Formats: sequence, structure tokens, C-alpha cells
Amino acid sequence: MISLPLIIIASLFFMGIVIRTKSITSGRKGPGIFQPMKDVFRLWKKGAVYSETTSFIFQIAPSIYFASVLMAILTIPFGEYPGLVSFNGDFVFFAYVLAIGKFFSIIGALDTGSSFEGMGASREALYSLLAEPAFFILMGSFALFTGHTSFVDIFTSLHFGTYISYALGILATFILIMIAMIENSRMPIDDPKTHLELTMVHEVMILDNSGFDLGLILYATNLKFAMYGALIANFFIESLPIYISILIFLAVQFTFAIIVGILESFNARFRMGNNAQFIFTLTSLSLLIFFGVLLILKKIV
Amino acid sequence: MNILIYKIVLGITVLLFFLPKKWIYSFALLLIISMCVITSWWAGSVLFGSEMQPLAFIQLAGNSIYLEIDKLSAFFIIIINFTVLTGIFYTKGYLKPYAEKKSKTEFAIHYFNFVWLHFSMLLVSMIRDGLSFLIVWELMSISSFFLVLFESEKKETIKIGLNYLIQMHIGLVLIMSGFLLAYFQSNASLGFEGVASFFSQHQPFLVFFLFFLGFGIKAGFIPIHTWLPHAHPAAPSHVSGVMSGVMVKLGIYGIIRVALLLKTDQLLIGEIIIIISILTGVFGILNASIHRDFKKMLAYCTIENIGIIGIGIGLFLVGEGLNNIPIMIIGLSGALLHTLNHSLFKSLLFYAAGSVYQQTHTRDMENLGGLIHQMPQTASLFLIGSLAIGGLPPLNGFISEFIIYNGLIDCLRQPGLVHSTLMMVALASIALIGGLSLLTFTKTFGTVFLGNPRKKLNHTPKEVELSMRIPQYIIVAFILCIGLFPQLFFIQLLDIVIGIVPAIKHTDVIAFYPMLDLIGIVGFYATIFLLLIIVVYFLRKLLTQQKIAVRKSTWGCGYVAPAVNMQYTGKSFSKSLSKLLNFIVLERKVYHEIEITTVFPTERSYQSHYLDFFEKTFLKPITNRLLYSMNYFVFIQNGKTHFYVLYGLLFILVIFLSTLFHLI
Repeated sequence: MISLPLIIIASLFFMGIVIRTKSITSGRKGPGIFQPMKDVFRLWKKGAVYSETTSFIFQIAPSIYFASVLMAILTIPFGEYPGLVSFNGDFVFFAYVLAIGKFFSIIGALDTGSSFEGMGASREALYSLLAEPAFFILMGSFALFTGHTSFVDIFTSLHFGTYISYALGILATFILIMIAMIENSRMPIDDPKTHLELTMVHEVMILDNSGFDLGLILYATNLKFAMYGALIANFFIESLPIYISILIFLAVQFTFAIIVGILESFNARFRMGNNAQFIFTLTSLSLLIFFGVLLILKKIV
Repeated sequence: MNILIYKIVLGITVLLFFLPKKWIYSFALLLIISMCVITSWWAGSVLFGSEMQPLAFIQLAGNSIYLEIDKLSAFFIIIINFTVLTGIFYTKGYLKPYAEKKSKTEFAIHYFNFVWLHFSMLLVSMIRDGLSFLIVWELMSISSFFLVLFESEKKETIKIGLNYLIQMHIGLVLIMSGFLLAYFQSNASLGFEGVASFFSQHQPFLVFFLFFLGFGIKAGFIPIHTWLPHAHPAAPSHVSGVMSGVMVKLGIYGIIRVALLLKTDQLLIGEIIIIISILTGVFGILNASIHRDFKKMLAYCTIENIGIIGIGIGLFLVGEGLNNIPIMIIGLSGALLHTLNHSLFKSLLFYAAGSVYQQTHTRDMENLGGLIHQMPQTASLFLIGSLAIGGLPPLNGFISEFIIYNGLIDCLRQPGLVHSTLMMVALASIALIGGLSLLTFTKTFGTVFLGNPRKKLNHTPKEVELSMRIPQYIIVAFILCIGLFPQLFFIQLLDIVIGIVPAIKHTDVIAFYPMLDLIGIVGFYATIFLLLIIVVYFLRKLLTQQKIAVRKSTWGCGYVAPAVNMQYTGKSFSKSLSKLLNFIVLERKVYHEIEITTVFPTERSYQSHYLDFFEKTFLKPITNRLLYSMNYFVFIQNGKTHFYVLYGLLFILVIFLSTLFHLI
């Protein structure tokens, strides 16, 4: 319950911090922290241009995308407080709800009949499908480790005790950060600030969106970042008093945003051909977590 | 009384050949409806009432054959009846363009076989006796063979049909040897009873895998799936809908029927089935994602779903081996629910694809595009089918996949390293399958229905007639029902599972009610999700209705002369995936360079198509070798009659001698 307002608050400044970090590291003055949100509000007030080729799919796609991100956020717990939607196996629901949003954003891009947008759509579909097993192996390992299958039960019963389990926590955080980067199409998978449509992934998919719809899509990206931040934060929030855990939550979101900013400042985008390999690496990393869990449970001696 | 009407309905199918052309359809419809009423009555009374006494059907070789309906049969009867009914309603509009082209006899043959496909599928699910089971199984194969041959004026169709027929007979031989092996080594009768008593006395592996292979050919497990991607595109769409929706499922029925009889070694068999199913699922959807023939794509997608169902069956067996009742229930109910779900959305997709084919006369998606403007309803129906088959909430595919996920996670926690690892691999592969099907269906839907038309068609496509759309809307209603209120269906499934697995007592199921609640909760949140989408959409509508909306051409990134053939194609959409996995997805390119022989050189050409890995690397070499070695025996068939008489004499002589010396 408490996670929803917190994630929404975090989503308001998240992208601003990323941009601010990038401007500081490159020695620019840069916009204020709330500039991305101001952009979104500006877009929400604008009219729109629709392509003549498009059908009703193009009209409903951004709304469904946004709704799917909202629904996914509802499943995220906050420490021991479950999210609004919480049941055994809710992480499956989480992944599949996000998938339906992706489905519509892809066909929304294909609806324009553009050569560039199809390219972006194809890449988005490929990269997210490759990232899917990593997430499931990660969550499956924790389900095996804790004996629970819902987000809130998994997070509350994750007790980091041994050295191996600390290593697991760090690995899991790394994987989640990388999945967030893939899902949001950021560096090192995709460079949102590139000037060439041929090398974009997500940005090129939304070339034809404008006005309110574009605002929805941009805000959904912010929400998605804050959502993954909240997932990561849950690894660190134990059964602490609420005010401390809120502080931890905000600190984690803040650090996450700075990490994203630094990654984007000092990292170049991978070659498109190497992206797939990179995403496969995540799957093997999550397999490491699985083996770690097997070690802890003494299934392998 | 009922059985008499049943026999009469079976008998009067012959009348189809003597009716005038315009009455054939109505009579076939009448036959199918009456058959549906009779068998659904039986099935309903078994599902909701008490057990049913076997009905004496006919005398065969001195034995009387009974129709036995237990809950498993009843479940399959309901699925068969529903899909065939939607199929026959759809047929009316679909075959209309052929009315001039085809003769009365051709129509009569087609409908006769369609009716008999229905009847034989029902009989397969009702008969337990070995010999008559094999006969009705054969009837099912032959009637579907003739249905595939409907467009027999195309040379390719005959070849595909023969390929199908031969593969089905290999399957038949395997099933037959399974029955016979069990019969000769046990004292019980030929049939499932004999198999049961065989399993209680002997090692089950050989017999079980004979059955698994035999039924697996029908179902489409790899590497014996190769008939599916050929036969489904060649058959008319109502036939491929029924074949893929239910006929393939009777392979699953057979496997479940035999698996239920196992007494020992369930654990190992279950694990082997899970491994085969994982490979089947990933291989199926991977191939589906690259093909440009959209009916071939759907055929491969059937293979993928058979893999998911197989994982459920494997889970059931693993649960039985571990003596873990919850895993057994989850596995079997997941498999059955996915069987039902797949029969719904796959027939829907085939019907929608058939509507596209009827209007455009092409199955190649690279020639299509922008059909959503001319056929908005077909497009929406196809979209709903695609979402459902991708396992996305709030539709029915999600529910069965969710159940199977739950089973896998449950099984993950069982002691033992092997299970944990296997279940983790299964978990990751279902996730991968989900991702791949997202790519496959966004590609297909996007290429066929969205964007601009890629080629000029001979006539402008328009929305198909109402009689073709209504069955599809009925299917959509069921898809939504299962997606939003899954507990209603799941409780029935639990009932079926108790009815067919003797090890599961009623008390176990009461302990299973939390799972039922969980399924209910998933349905509830799916509903909430649907409402959330609607709310967001209406908010958007409310906020934007005052704003200016302009329609302009698609932004071409500064390029001012865009053309339709610059659109992204389906092939390029999946190209990066196929390049990544080019060791499984074999691409064959044929490139003809221009030959400079004359002053005006001809066009150069470039083709590329994908080959099936197993067909190319296993089946083709084997059949080629076989053909080659058969060359040595050509002298036997020399066309001289007196030689053939001599062979007969030689045969008698050999038999005589070998009995004389007690060789046989």
C-alpha cells in the first residue's frame, strides 16, 4: 500500500537526477531536477499529430502501456508491507503485465508503417525476450531460497547472514539494475540521446507519438525506473521502523539514479550485435545466484 | 435409447453423397449438431453427475465394444464438440468462394470427412478396447487426410497429404506395437486394460515410450513434429482450426491416458517428458517466429503449446513419483486447462487467418499489410487470439501458464538437485517461450494487419461475412470468461482430476482450496487490470478531446519520398533473432547472379527460406538413404505378371518349410 505513493514520488525526480548527474559529470550547468516532469506536463497539455497510416491500435497503445506499468507497480511491496496486489506467484503476474504493455507499444510502433519504427520495435522485442529468463531465474532462486513465492514474502524472509548470501544480494542488485536499463532502453543497450534513428531502440519506436500520448510514454518510463528502484530497495529494507525504511528507500532510489547517470556518462553504447551477448550474460549471472542458493541449501556440497 | 440414435446418426452420414449440392452443408450441420447434443449430454452427465455405465456399441470379431466415458473422456468430448461446432459454422462462409469451382461430389466428400473426423475423434476418446481404438484412430487419420487434400488441384497439397498419411501410419504402428507388447506380456485383454496390467507387472519404459512416440507424432513433440508445419498451411482453415485445436490434442489425450496407468518409474518418465517438452516448446516458438507463411507460423506455435502442455503432464508424473499430491494436481490440471485454452485460441487464430486468406488469397505475410483498415473486426479477433496465446493477462492463456509456473516453483523446492535444476530450466524456458511468442505475434499482427499494404492485391479485401465472425466472437467470449473468472473452470478441472487419478482422494482436494482461491484472486486482479486500462483510456480521451489533433503522413525522419516497400518487413523483424540462433534456425539462400550472355540480361533473383532443423538434419538423410537402398530391390517389381505369381508360390513354400522345421 505504502509503496505506490513512494514510487510515484520517486518517479517525479528520478529522471531529473539522472540528467543532473550527467550534466555535472560532463561539466555542464544542466537543467533542474524537475525539468523532465515539467516536460511531461507540457506534453500533457499539447495537441497531437497522428499519422494517416495509423489505426485505433495507435490510439490505445500508449494507454495500455501506461496502465500495465501502473498495474506492475501495484505488485511491488515495501519491506513487510505488501503492495495492493499481492498473492503467491505475483512476480509472474508482474512480468506478464509488463509484457502486455510491451506488446502494445511494439504494435503501436508497427502501426505507423515506418521503416525506422519497425527496426526499433524488433530490437525492443528481441532484447526484452532475452532478458526474461534472467528475471525468472533470479526470482525462482529466491523463491527456492526463502520458500515463498510472492514478492512481499520473499523480501521479508530474505535474511542475509552468510557471506554467500551477501554476494547473492549484490549480484541480484546488479542484475536488477541491468534489467531496468534494458527494459527502459538506456545505456549500455540503447542510447536515448543518439542523433541517428538507425541506432535507437526505444526512442525510435515513439517517433510518431506526440502530445498526451508521448507524455504518457515518457512518464511511464520514469515510473518504470522508480519501480525497479523500489524492487532493489526491497533487498535492503528489513523489518526496520517505517521512517528509517522510507529513508533507505529514498536513498536507494537516489543512488540508483546516480548510478544510471554515471553509467550513461562514462559508458558508450554497445554495438547492436553485441547487445544480445550482453543480455545472455545476465542470464548466466542469475544462474550464479541459483547455484549460490543451491550451495546455501546444501543441495550441492 | 440414446445409443440407438447415436448409431442412426453414424449411419445416415452416407446420405451426404446423395443430396443436392445446396443441401449438403445443412445436412452436415444437422449431423454434427445432433452428434454434439448426444455426446455432450453423455459428457455433461458424467461431469456433473454420477459415473456412467459402458454402452454396448457394436460387435467386433466376437467381442462387444463398449463406449466408456469417464471424466477425462467427457472433458475431451466437450472440447471436441465445441471446436467442431465453431468450425462447421465458420465453414459456411469460408467455402462459399469454392461453390462454383468444386463439384457436388467434392463437396460431399469434404463434408463427409469433416463429419467423420468429428465422429472418430469422439470415438477415440470413448473407446478403451485396443483393436477398435486402433480402427477409430486410423479413421481419424484418414478422414483428416482427405480434408487436407481439399485443394488437391495444387500439386504440393498431394505431396503434403501423403507425407501426413505416412507419418500417421508410423504413429499407428507404434501405438499398435505398444498395445501388442502389453497384450502378450500380460494376461489381460488387448487395450488400455492390458496396458494397465502390463505396467503393474513389468518395467514400463519400452511400452510407455512406444505409446509416447505414437501419440507424440499426432501431438507434435519434436523431433516427430514435421507433419504439422506442412499439413496445417495446406488444409483449408476450418480444417486446420479443428486439426490444431482438437485433433492434435487427442495425442495428448492418449499420452495422459497411458500416463495415468503407470505404476512405477513415474519420476524418471516425468523428467524425460519435461525435457522433451521444454525442447519442443522452445523449438516450436523459435521456428514460429521466423516463418513468413502465417499459417505455418500458427502450426509451429501449436508445437510450442504442446510443449507447455507436456511440461504439465511431466510435472504430474514427477509429482506422482515424489508422492506429492499438490504437484500432481497442479501438473494435470494445468495441462488440461492449457489443452482447453489452446483449443480456444488456436482455432480462433486459424479462423481469423482463414478470413485473411479468403480475402487476399495469400498466406505470405510479406505481401500483406494494413488490413486493419479493411477488416477491423478480423484484426481485433486476431489480436485477441495473439494476446491469449502469448499468455498475457487478462486472457485465458495466462491462467494456465500461471498454474504451470506455480507447479514448477513448488517442485523446485522438493529435495534433490536434479529436480531443482530441471525445474529451474523449465521455468526459464517458459519465460523465454513467453518472450518469443511476444516477438512472433507482434511480428505477425504488425505485418499482416498494420502499416500500409505491401503489394497491390487483385481485389480489395473487405470484412468477411457475419456467419464467419460469429463463431469467433463466441470463442472470444469463452477466452475472456476463463481469463476473468478462472475459478469457475478450475473447480471443474479439480473435479475431473479427482475423477481420473485414483491416488487423489477428495480430502486432498479440500487441502488444495487455497490454490483455488489463488486462481480466483488472479482472475480478480486480471479484471482490475482490464478496468485500469479502460480507466486510463477514458481519462486520456477526456483530457485530449478539447485538444487539436491533426492527421499527417508518418514521420519519415526527414525523408520526403517514402514508399510502401520501405516499410519494415516481417522477415527483417525477426532477422536479428534468426541470426543469433542460426545453428538451429537454418536459413537457405538461393542467389542467381545475372548471366551476361545476351545484350539484355534477365532479372537476377534472390530467395531465402528457413528449413526445419530436424527435417533437414535427421529425417531427410534417413529417407534419402532409404530411397537409395531401395534401389537395390527394384528388380522385384519388374512388371512381369508371371514373376509376381512366382513370388506368391515362393512365399507359400517358405511358410511351408519353416513350419515343417518349426521355425515359426
